Amino acid sequence: MNKTLIPFALLVATTTGFAAESVKATVNGMVCAFCAQGIEKRLTKLDATQAVFVDLKNKIVAVEAKPDKTLDHKAITAEITDAGYDVVKLEAVSMSVQEIRAQTKAAK
Amino acid sequence: MKRVATVVALAALALPSVFAAPMGFKDSWMAMGDFSPNWREGFVNFAFTARDAVGPSLLYMRSDDRLKTRDLAEVVYTRLLQRWNMPHAQANVWFIGGIGAVRGNDFSGTRAMATPGVQVDYETTRVYFSALARLYRADGINHDFASARAGFSFYEADYDEVQPWLIVEARHMRGLSADTEITPMLRLIQNRYFVELGVNNFKHVRANFMYIF
Repeated sequence: MNKTLIPFALLVATTTGFAAESVKATVNGMVCAFCAQGIEKRLTKLDATQAVFVDLKNKIVAVEAKPDKTLDHKAITAEITDAGYDVVKLEAVSMSVQEIRAQTKAAK
Repeated sequence: MKRVATVVALAALALPSVFAAPMGFKDSWMAMGDFSPNWREGFVNFAFTARDAVGPSLLYMRSDDRLKTRDLAEVVYTRLLQRWNMPHAQANVWFIGGIGAVRGNDFSGTRAMATPGVQVDYETTRVYFSALARLYRADGINHDFASARAGFSFYEADYDEVQPWLIVEARHMRGLSADTEITPMLRLIQNRYFVELGVNNFKHVRANFMYIF
């Protein structure tokens, strides 16, 4: 292997090994930032939460797990419900909140 | 959806609103204020479930001719009766009811007052409608209140951006004002901050705010 490629290969391996785990939820009823702040506040308080991203336009809420933690899908659904909204879809994704944010911004 | 639209339309015709939503999310405190020379209201409540909140409210009211005043201190219970969460909209029906004591400058002592009411609202990221009807009743006093609001946002904003709205409110209180108060207001929402500023048809400045802790 070309010596110049070794650091790059190591970087890719490292990045893949520590890929952030997130949950992406599609949420009905999110129309106002002021009202939706409850979602962010409640999800941020979960023990496993590293970061939260709310996208009003695409009705997406993304929660990133701390490196050594696992996100509880039922707990996330319950917190969004207690904030006053309905979860219509929930999926696990191997992306950070930062990456999800960049992806949705690029799509706009 | 048709059912929701019917409820909102009927309410808008029959009734009118002060706040976007009269309570926050479960386990949150919400503070609200509505200030103008003839109407000064401060209200705090705690949401002990996702649908129920309770808290104290102070309200000062003055007649158009500035001769008659009312001071109401009450405990207000707020209940989300029904919510429709749609992909791009939300509609709600609320019960708002208080029990307290009212004082006035045209009678002596304090009277018990009850203030039951219903609010309906419909909102997307670009339009807003609401209506509130509330009774303000005490022995020998009837200050029933009605208000209606409609508005639009100048543009769709992201969650962390400032979103400006133009909101127009019409409201009327029996026994204190012969005229309906019309107030166009600039509403600014930025995440946890919610403020409204306007000037009504009596040329009174009006300022509202909401904050969730």
